[in-house]
Amino acid sequence: MKTTTTMLALVALAALATPAAARDAAAGAAKAKEVCAACHGMDGNSQVPDYPKIGGQYEDYLAKALRDYKSGARKNAIMAGFAGALTKQDIANLAAHYAAQPRVVSARY
Amino acid sequence: MNTVSTIAALAALALAGSAFAQAPAGDAGRGRQKVQMCQGCHGIEGWRTAFPEVYHVPRIAGQHPSYFVKALQAYKSGERTHPSMRGIAATLSDQDMADLAAYYAAPATATAGK
Repeated sequence: MKTTTTMLALVALAALATPAAARDAAAGAAKAKEVCAACHGMDGNSQVPDYPKIGGQYEDYLAKALRDYKSGARKNAIMAGFAGALTKQDIANLAAHYAAQPRVVSARY
Repeated sequence: MNTVSTIAALAALALAGSAFAQAPAGDAGRGRQKVQMCQGCHGIEGWRTAFPEVYHVPRIAGQHPSYFVKALQAYKSGERTHPSMRGIAATLSDQDMADLAAYYAAPATATAGK
């Protein structure tokens, strides 16, 4: 019984430690064109004041935002619909694409 | 009864309208005086969160002011749940939010806190 519990715990830990899916920025670009670009732009430099600029944002933050929209931890009616339809791989790819764009947001000050 | 409902509805609309009308204008100069609480995390390139999940603290300079204010309001209301941001946003007035948004929106004119 104890061994089973320990093994389960180890499996859970291994799952946590599994690195994020390998990402493909080109596939991310294709997905972005289809899903994101209408509001955020292909380069993430949104021209709509209510929609955030995401070009050059940190990749891990972009992925976290998408995961949170998908899980419902972050609530937004529009983003819930889009993120809900994304796979883990899509999220990794999209984050790679937008993080690689010329930076329109900065941490400079 | 109908009249009362109509009047109530009109009053609610008027209130909503005035709330929009009174959305404060941001002042980047005033915002500059209020960024101490932001810079410790958002002003350091490559800085990461420690809790509850580890990821880079987002870059926020250059962001649209209206989105910036919406994000702060969502933290203040609890709609967005990051613990540190909830705590900080709770201390901000609408005017503070507008001022910070103005400051962070304008990298070209911002000179403080380099």
